[in-house]
Amino acid sequence: MSTAPTIDYERIKGVKNVPLEELYTSGHRTCQGCESATTMRGFIKAAGSRTVVTGATGCMYVANTSYLTTPWIVPWMHTQLGAGGSSAVGMAAGLRALKRKGKIKDEKINVINFSGDLGAGDMGIGGISAALQSDYDLLIIMYDNESAANTDIQATGSTTYGAQTTFTPPGTKHPIMQRRWKKNVAGMLAVGHPTCKYVATACATYPPTDYLNKVRKALSIGGPTFIHTYDPCPKGWDYHPRYSNELGELGIKCGLYPLYEIVEGNIIYTYDARKTGKGRIPVKEFLTKQGRFEHLLPEHFTYIQKMVDEMWEEWEFPGVAPIKGILKARI
Amino acid sequence: MIKRVEVNYRGIFQKNLGKKIGSDIVMIASRMGQKAFSNGRYSDSPERNGIPCKYFAFVSPDVPEEELEAECGAKLEIDEANISVVLDDTMCKGVEPWGWHGIRPINERVVKDGCLLVVSKKKPEELLKFIGKKPYNYRIAILDGDASLAGLWVNKDDMTHERILGGIAAIDPAVISIEAVEAYLLEKTKQKHRADAARAAYESLRQEAKPPRVKTVTSNDGIVWPHKIPVLPKWFEMQEGAVVPAVKRGFEMGPRGQSRNAMFKRGTTKTQRPAVRFDLCTKCTLCWAECPDECFDPTTDGFYDIEYQYCVGCGKCAEVCPVKECIVMVDELQFEDDHSPWEHWKKDSKEYIQWVEGKKGKDRVSYPFVTGKGITVTQGEVMPEGKIVPVRKTEEVEV
Amino acid sequence: MSVAMAKAKSDLSGVYQREDLLNGCQAVAQGVRLADVDVIAAYPIRPYTEVMDALSKLIADGEFDAEYIIADSEHSQFEIVKHASSVNARAFGGSSGTGWMYGMEALVVTATDRLPPLFVVGNRALDDPGAFGVEHNDAMAIRDMGWLICWVTTPQEALEHVLIGYRIAEDKKVRMPMALAMDGAFLTHSQHMVKIPSVEAAKKFLPQYDLAERRLHPDNPISVAPQVNEDWVMEIRRQNWEAAKRARVVIKDAYKEFNDVFGDRYSAPYYFEEFMTDDAEAVLIGAGTVAAPARTAVRRLRAKGQKVGYVNLRWFRPFPTVELRESLSRFKSVGVIDRDFAHGSPDNGGILMHEIRSCLYPAKNRPAIVNFIGGLGGRDLSIADLQKMYETTQQAATKDSMDEFVTWIGLRE
Repeated sequence: MSTAPTIDYERIKGVKNVPLEELYTSGHRTCQGCESATTMRGFIKAAGSRTVVTGATGCMYVANTSYLTTPWIVPWMHTQLGAGGSSAVGMAAGLRALKRKGKIKDEKINVINFSGDLGAGDMGIGGISAALQSDYDLLIIMYDNESAANTDIQATGSTTYGAQTTFTPPGTKHPIMQRRWKKNVAGMLAVGHPTCKYVATACATYPPTDYLNKVRKALSIGGPTFIHTYDPCPKGWDYHPRYSNELGELGIKCGLYPLYEIVEGNIIYTYDARKTGKGRIPVKEFLTKQGRFEHLLPEHFTYIQKMVDEMWEEWEFPGVAPIKGILKARI
Repeated sequence: MIKRVEVNYRGIFQKNLGKKIGSDIVMIASRMGQKAFSNGRYSDSPERNGIPCKYFAFVSPDVPEEELEAECGAKLEIDEANISVVLDDTMCKGVEPWGWHGIRPINERVVKDGCLLVVSKKKPEELLKFIGKKPYNYRIAILDGDASLAGLWVNKDDMTHERILGGIAAIDPAVISIEAVEAYLLEKTKQKHRADAARAAYESLRQEAKPPRVKTVTSNDGIVWPHKIPVLPKWFEMQEGAVVPAVKRGFEMGPRGQSRNAMFKRGTTKTQRPAVRFDLCTKCTLCWAECPDECFDPTTDGFYDIEYQYCVGCGKCAEVCPVKECIVMVDELQFEDDHSPWEHWKKDSKEYIQWVEGKKGKDRVSYPFVTGKGITVTQGEVMPEGKIVPVRKTEEVEV
Repeated sequence: MSVAMAKAKSDLSGVYQREDLLNGCQAVAQGVRLADVDVIAAYPIRPYTEVMDALSKLIADGEFDAEYIIADSEHSQFEIVKHASSVNARAFGGSSGTGWMYGMEALVVTATDRLPPLFVVGNRALDDPGAFGVEHNDAMAIRDMGWLICWVTTPQEALEHVLIGYRIAEDKKVRMPMALAMDGAFLTHSQHMVKIPSVEAAKKFLPQYDLAERRLHPDNPISVAPQVNEDWVMEIRRQNWEAAKRARVVIKDAYKEFNDVFGDRYSAPYYFEEFMTDDAEAVLIGAGTVAAPARTAVRRLRAKGQKVGYVNLRWFRPFPTVELRESLSRFKSVGVIDRDFAHGSPDNGGILMHEIRSCLYPAKNRPAIVNFIGGLGGRDLSIADLQKMYETTQQAATKDSMDEFVTWIGLRE
């Protein structure tokens, strides 16, 4: 049997070398085709059993664990919606003190928190910022399904422009109510925390093993780290569950969801349409496959395409930070 | 007198449909001068795709509204139903909305002489192979059609809603009469074909209709219910601090080799299940890797068995499988049990291939990207043993 | 107390390490050091902040070893403490006034997760307008959440109650979070000579924290607080209710054990202490530093031959219902001093009065009760104020009019 490693991670070369054992296992109340469930399954596979996990309020809390049952094989604890960062710091600090004082065995124990886009990107961003300033070994994963999916789909700061949610319904006066551009959480956190060695974006299923290796890199590089995952949501995005994999792939290939890692200040694009020779696919190919964009008018598609083009063609660090360079002359 | 109608539906896919039916029963019954109200089973929310949920409507000609509320509304689940509507016939295999609810019979709430109204292409006899026995007589009525599945935003207007209203009128006019249904639909939508759809459904379910679609179910019909309903522990039997023991760590190669959450299997979430032709499998691992419910068990010979008790039938494995006809999603009602397909194949590969192709049949039912835009039915092909035809190349990106 | 201290001096060599001049905050910090706390999370707000100042200096000077985390908000601060506690680390936090309220969500779940960290509450008035002075509404806001809440009156008691607090909170029969409340300014910032226990004595009294089967560690795989539906909440609430009941017994045991190590520092019934009440007819009861002017007023009135006494309420949660009922029903009249308010409550009185009155309802002999609202926002309560309260309380025994049932003390009118 292939057991999940704990320390000295090897890079996983190809899906055939992914650890077979599950540490987040069958029997969770997630949606059919839930990509976030794959995100859960993946990070703990990569991390292994010597890990403690907290999950902030959200789908991956409420859906996963219905009381007196759990899908978790590793120790797991609920934390409050905005407490992802603080829960990780609390556990890491506690374990470090107990080890130093000889109250528990001195061994590497991974500390991981997962929070949704509402918890990590909006309410809890201050706590995560503080966690990324600390010197504790911890990993915070923001699973981004682009809505408050657990309260039946409300817009968050991470919802794609134009999308329908119960807070942003199309109407006769306002054809779209979601008029905020998606918050750039990973980029913001990378730019704002000079001593944080690792910030990445990822998608649980595309490219294969990319996400697992990012988790391993984050856990072995030392210090606080952050991974933002794009999780297609069959419920909120309104597509048939069987296509979760494809939606993630399309979101990345159209450029809406840049895939990169920033390792000690160096950006590595882990999917780069510019190098495929084919370039980015039109965003429309991604958007029209989801019911949440059914109401968009041509000008909305045009606007989204323009913004994505800008991300990749005008930003100094394409897809990472919305800074277009230094003005030569003063305006 | 109080009439209770429960609508059993698939979470999200039929959320809007279920609520619409419940609401319109109230609107129509009120126009008939009855007291009525409706609500959903609160704990179903937030709904998950496929999870069995319920919506209720309560009607009375003589009970005051507050008493009606007290009898039916001031509780999260009803005790009995005069009509149990089932919007997806695969729910006849049982429903398990939460951990510790157990897999419960679909007709659990149906009263004596009540009715189970199922949207289905099957005959009552075919459904009763899965439905639990009742100690008394009740009726089962089949409203001919496919389960109407749609997403949260893009709804499917296939007249199922109107037809259910007509069906209820045929089963128990005391709840809503067909005249009231027609009048309401006409007035509300100004579209005659909606009223006609309700009327057609009504006619199809009348006693004298040919073929007869309403059958009286006796205490001999149905099966002895195989699933235990758990008894909830007392307060002093639970660990303090809301602590729950983790699933015990355990993994070995082969069927059911992975430890799983024993108190919440939820395999009854599925409407289709993946049927596998192991002889066509290239061992690419994608089905296993992509499964969001961890129900593929790796075998010593490099295949992936399926633990159907935990499979929720999302179809991802079939979608990512690179080989033609290797993994195909098949109507859940084709299967009586959850036995290991890999063991079956190992025992007798020829017999297995015959068996699985028999289950698959000719039709390949799949959904477009946006669920509510209708199903597509294509004709499948029986591949000769071992004939591997790629449908897409697998991507193995190394970063 | 001074008597007890004398006794302590006589036969307790080695129990105390030294005597030093400390204010309430610094005394708490010494208690935290002696409790060998593992994790401290800090966030500034007056008046409790000095506790954290003192702790960071102790760590900087190598006198004490703990993780010291500067949080980004009270909510984060309390969550850090909660989760440190969940991995079996002894954790410490604290706050004041609106800061305490900002972290309220974390305070609620710490109790329902049945974790036993200790928080100091430097009582402070709630905004608006911003005010630094003492008021008890901050600590009292968590009174129904499943917390242990206790008030101390001197730096010495403050230090000792860090040890006593952890002892009670961490007991496996209890496992509830502990709020150690002390009046802003009057206790947090006033310096007294404090006898500092030796490390050995502290160790002897306070066992190591052990969350045992509920600790979050790879060797103990559990899931903590999965989502519940309507099938479970009643049972979980009942468990917490039982713990709060058991705490009453554990509190008594803890003080007895403390006395065994440190001499007879505290006397039964421990939840509260009576002063000159033996033949008293009218007593005042209050929590916190008001005890000083109150007891002084008692001494002076006693000198004039008046039968008055004072009851200093230490433990507010769990409420010492039986003992307090038995005690207070001995008197003709009781005046309750509230350094808090409960706007729109029955009789628009204070929180403490309402609790004490409902506690006395089943008593055979119910004393007359009057309520004093005073010292809000840090306004002082003088000996003269206290004497006036005794006067009103004595009159209440004979008067049946409720006109002056609630009196505001020191209000300009």
